[in-house]
Amino acid sequence: MITLGSFRISDFSENILFISLQQKPGEVELTDLFFSLSEYLRSTKKWIEVVSGEDSLIVKYNLFKTNSAKAKEDLEQQVRDFTYQEQKKAANVLTVPICYSEDFALDIQDLKTNSSLSNQDIAELHSSTTYKVKMIGFTPGFAYLGDLPKELTVPRLTKPRVNLVPGSVGIAGNRTGIYTLGGPGGWRIIGRTPLKLFNQKKKNPFIILPRMEVKFKPISRDEFDSF
Amino acid sequence: MSIEVISSGLQTTVQDLGRIGWRHMGVPESGAADKFSMKLANQLLNKEVNSPVLECTLTGPILKFLKPLSFVITGASMESKINNTYIKNNTPYAVKKTDVLSLSNCSTGCRSYIAFSEEIISTSFLGSHSTYLPANLGGINGLPLQEGSIVKTQPSKLSSNQEASIGVEQINSYKNEWKIRVIPGPEFILLTDESQEAVFNSVYLVSNDTSRMGTKIEGVNLEFHNKHHMLSGPVHTGTIQCPENGLPIILGCDSQTLGGYPRVLQIAEIDYPSIGQLRPNDKISFIKTSIEEASRQLEGIT
Repeated sequence: MITLGSFRISDFSENILFISLQQKPGEVELTDLFFSLSEYLRSTKKWIEVVSGEDSLIVKYNLFKTNSAKAKEDLEQQVRDFTYQEQKKAANVLTVPICYSEDFALDIQDLKTNSSLSNQDIAELHSSTTYKVKMIGFTPGFAYLGDLPKELTVPRLTKPRVNLVPGSVGIAGNRTGIYTLGGPGGWRIIGRTPLKLFNQKKKNPFIILPRMEVKFKPISRDEFDSF
Repeated sequence: MSIEVISSGLQTTVQDLGRIGWRHMGVPESGAADKFSMKLANQLLNKEVNSPVLECTLTGPILKFLKPLSFVITGASMESKINNTYIKNNTPYAVKKTDVLSLSNCSTGCRSYIAFSEEIISTSFLGSHSTYLPANLGGINGLPLQEGSIVKTQPSKLSSNQEASIGVEQINSYKNEWKIRVIPGPEFILLTDESQEAVFNSVYLVSNDTSRMGTKIEGVNLEFHNKHHMLSGPVHTGTIQCPENGLPIILGCDSQTLGGYPRVLQIAEIDYPSIGQLRPNDKISFIKTSIEEASRQLEGIT
């Protein structure tokens, strides 16, 4: 059972509180627990920002309206009021087309040096799993998806790339993710999607949302070009 | 037709107080890197404190006025001139049509702010006009000012409900040395005892790798008790992360919202403006402060 005692509330700064786990609760999926808790806290409209990680979250408060002690009391009460229910209904599954073509799969060699996997094996392993959205953040609309099949687990690049192409699909540790923007990135790139996962011109600019699941669908280079 | 950009400067962008409440979708706060100077600029023109201003970086722009306007410059001093006459920061000036405002370089601080008597016309996204270059959000086409382009302005509402004014005595005169107040971060205790002391007793240098996203600093390498593994968690403007190489990174207003490196220190909000004024080779000392002290100091100013 998730109670206030499951969490530890501490000061992150003079206007940010930090919630971490007092102890790991048994069977609960942590990312789902923290997504739920942060959604609940956001719905109270008491906080300037509520941001969750895999096993922690922060809330920012307005120091001109409250103070650390009072904010902690409020937060404790809200955590007491929060009841966690594991998501029961089936998650929305977003299908993301991906092209594993050699010229997009910049780091695929790194996966092949330590294993006997072929390009085809890597594409099949990566696209045969349905991933959960584990976290949202880093840059606008970026989602940490997991877990990767064990065979695809690789460390981040020791030196991040300076300029990625938007749509690049990377892997690192047991996570995979789609770079929504160009710019720097340290994950190893194995393919590219033509789908825009952050579009500021749309009414809903964010395509991937908490609690969604994501499945990659391999497409050919021709399909990519004509997408 | 309001202002013609004769020269863009190194990186001149439209900024306001930032995009608040979207970090959970990965959208950083952005806004002026030095919000103290940005607010001051608007207050000196009696404008709404959140009105968009131009943020200039290291080398400022050259602007030709196509209609009479007033403006004020705050923040770093970039040897500004109207036509051939040097002008001062923190002082409003009125200009005529065809007058040219030119900013040059600064030797202390990093960013200047120009507020105009009229409102800069720019794009709003999620409630803010601030330019976030990595995603081309806000500002003028999400880009820095472009040479030869026109910055359009429209008459602005003057502030009806002005916050308490910033006292002139609070205006920093920058040196190339900074004392930055910090609170130990969630992973501070993972540092060795020596590093927990060293971080407060040594001087760090700002590297060339500094931007609105983050600033890498050089100095004593920080060491951790043992190889640790942490799951990625929330970070904020002012979070000081320490990757495996032991050299801290100060996160700026455009930084990522989640991070996987230990968060060793958190800068107190009263010193966020200093982050925006750091320039390569500046010296930084970190001063340990408490939650109570940091709150009192932040409440002391507006």
